[in-house]
Amino acid sequence: MKYAIQQLSVFIENKSGELSDFTKVLSKNGISIKSILLADSTDFGLVRTIVDNPQRAKALLEEEGFSVRFTNVFGVKIEDIVGSFDKVVSTLANQNINIQYTYSFYESNTGIFIFSVDKNYFEAAINSLVAADIQILSASHFYK
Amino acid sequence: MTFSKNESLPREKLRKLQLEYLQETVLRVYHLVPFYKKKFEQMGIKPNDITSLEDIAKLPFTKKQDLRENYPFGLFSVDMDQIVRIHSSSGTTGKPTVVGYTESDMDIWAEVMGRVFTMGGLTSKDLLHNATGYGLFTGGLGFHSAAERMKIAVIPSSTGFTSRQLLLLRDFGATAITGTPSFALHLAERAKAEGYDIQKDFKLRVGFFGAEPASEGLKNEIANVWGIDYIEVYGLSEIIGPGVASSCKHSHLLHVNEDHFYPEIIDPQSGEVLEDGKRGELVITTLTKQGLPIIRYKTGDITSITRIPCRCGRTLCRIESIVGRSDDMLVINGVNVFPSQIEHVLSKISDISINYQIIAEKQGYLDKLEIDVELSEDFMGDDVCELEQLKKKIQHELLNALYINVNLRLVAPRSIKRSEGKALRVIDKR
Repeated sequence: MKYAIQQLSVFIENKSGELSDFTKVLSKNGISIKSILLADSTDFGLVRTIVDNPQRAKALLEEEGFSVRFTNVFGVKIEDIVGSFDKVVSTLANQNINIQYTYSFYESNTGIFIFSVDKNYFEAAINSLVAADIQILSASHFYK
Repeated sequence: MTFSKNESLPREKLRKLQLEYLQETVLRVYHLVPFYKKKFEQMGIKPNDITSLEDIAKLPFTKKQDLRENYPFGLFSVDMDQIVRIHSSSGTTGKPTVVGYTESDMDIWAEVMGRVFTMGGLTSKDLLHNATGYGLFTGGLGFHSAAERMKIAVIPSSTGFTSRQLLLLRDFGATAITGTPSFALHLAERAKAEGYDIQKDFKLRVGFFGAEPASEGLKNEIANVWGIDYIEVYGLSEIIGPGVASSCKHSHLLHVNEDHFYPEIIDPQSGEVLEDGKRGELVITTLTKQGLPIIRYKTGDITSITRIPCRCGRTLCRIESIVGRSDDMLVINGVNVFPSQIEHVLSKISDISINYQIIAEKQGYLDKLEIDVELSEDFMGDDVCELEQLKKKIQHELLNALYINVNLRLVAPRSIKRSEGKALRVIDKR
C-alpha cells in the first residue's frame, strides 16, 4: 500500500538516559528522524517515530536490545489555512473513523500531519480522504 | 494466672492426654477422610500401630498441596451440617486452601485464644481494638470471636484507614490492640505525625501481634513506643488460625497449646524428627479438631522447641519466634505470598512474558511489593492507554487472586537481568 508509512513504535522505560540510548543508535548510523512523538505514563513511554529507513532502523535498534514494532500510519499535507486541518478530521469523523493519535511536522513551509487509525479502518480512511481531495503523501516520500 | 489447667499440667499427664487425643484423631482421619486412609494404607499403617507419642513419626506428612488437591472440602471429616465457619487463604494454582470449623472447633479456638488474651492480662473490663484483617483470613475473626466469648468489648477496626483508627483508639480508650507488628509501628509513626502524644492520648497497655516475622529489636521498639506489653501470637489457618502458640510476659518464647496442637521439629529435607533445641521445620498435628483434623502438617516455618517449663508456671513446650521459611514464601503485611502464585496469575495474562521480578521493600514500616513484568516480544500495541489498561488488569488480577496490592511496572522485553539464563525472581530488600 503506497500510503502506509512504517512508523517505529518503541517501548522505553521512564528513566533518564533511555531516550538518548535510543536516538544514539539512529544518529550513529546516519538515520534521520523525520518526526517523533513521545507518549508517556508514570513508568514507561512509547516513542513513535518516522525515519528515513525504517527497516534498517528496526534491525539496528533490535540489535541494541530495543523492542520495536511497525505501525502503519499515513501522512497528510495540510496548508496553513484556517479550516484545513478541520477538513481532514471532519472527513474521518463523517466515516466514523476514530483517530488514535496524530502529530505533525513542517516540511518546506507546509505542515505534514501523521495519523494513526485502527488498522481495520486504514483503507477506508485513505479512500475517504482521497475522495475529499485531500493530499496524502506516499510512504516513499519519507524514505531515503 | 492461666486460662485453663491444661496449660500447667505435669508433663507426664500432658503426654498421656496427648496420646489419647492422637489415637482418637488417627482413628477419625482413617475412617472419615479417604485421603488419609489411602495414605495410611500405602505406608502400611493401621490406627492401632500408634501406641506411644513417638509413633507419630510413622504417620505421613500433610502438605499445603494436599489441601489444594482436595479442594474445597475433601479433607473435612464431618458433613457440612456440622460446619459453622469456613475460612480460606489464597492458593497457588488458582485454588485457595479451605478450612472448616465445627462448633467444638470454635470452642477450641476460643479456648486457645482465651489463653493468649490471659497471657496479656485481659479481662471482661478491657476494650480490644482489633486491627487485624477481617474476612476470609482467620486473623480478624479469630481474635474477634474469642474476645467476645470472654466478654471483652471488641472494636472490629480491621486494617487500613490509619487516621480514623488513631481517632477511635484515643476516643474509645482501647486498652489492648491486635495487628501485624508493621502496622503497629505504622500507627505509631502516623500518630506522631498527626500530633498525638502517644503516652498521654492512648490507654493501650498490651498488644497481640503476629502474622509476620518480627525481630526482637522491632518488638522492643513497638513495646516502647506504645508503652505496652508485646504478646506474640502464632498461628496458621490450616491448624486453626491465631492461637496455636503465644508468648507470655515472662518469655519471648511462644507457649504451644500442645494439648490441642502437637508440635514436632523436623529436618525439612529428610523428614527426620530433630531433638529439642535444634532448628528445623515446624510440623503440627491437630489433636482435638473435628472439622479439619490434620496429621503432621508441614508449616514451612523454621523454629526450635524447648520443653523447659517457663517462669510463668506453664508447662507447655515453647518455640522460638519463627526465624525463617523452609520454602520461598513471602510475608507481605501479614499476607502470605508464594512467587509461584504470582507466576500463575501472570501466566494467564496475554501480552506479557513470564519473566518477572518481585521486589519486596519497606516503605516506612509497611511492606511494599513491586513487581516488574516484561512486555511480551510480540505485544503489538502502539497505545499508551492499552498499556495502562494492561497494567491495571494485572494489578487487579493479583489483588483478586492473592489479596495483595502491588506496585506493578511494565518493563521492556528482555530487560530483566538473567543470571545463568534464569531471571532472579525475588529481591527482598527488607
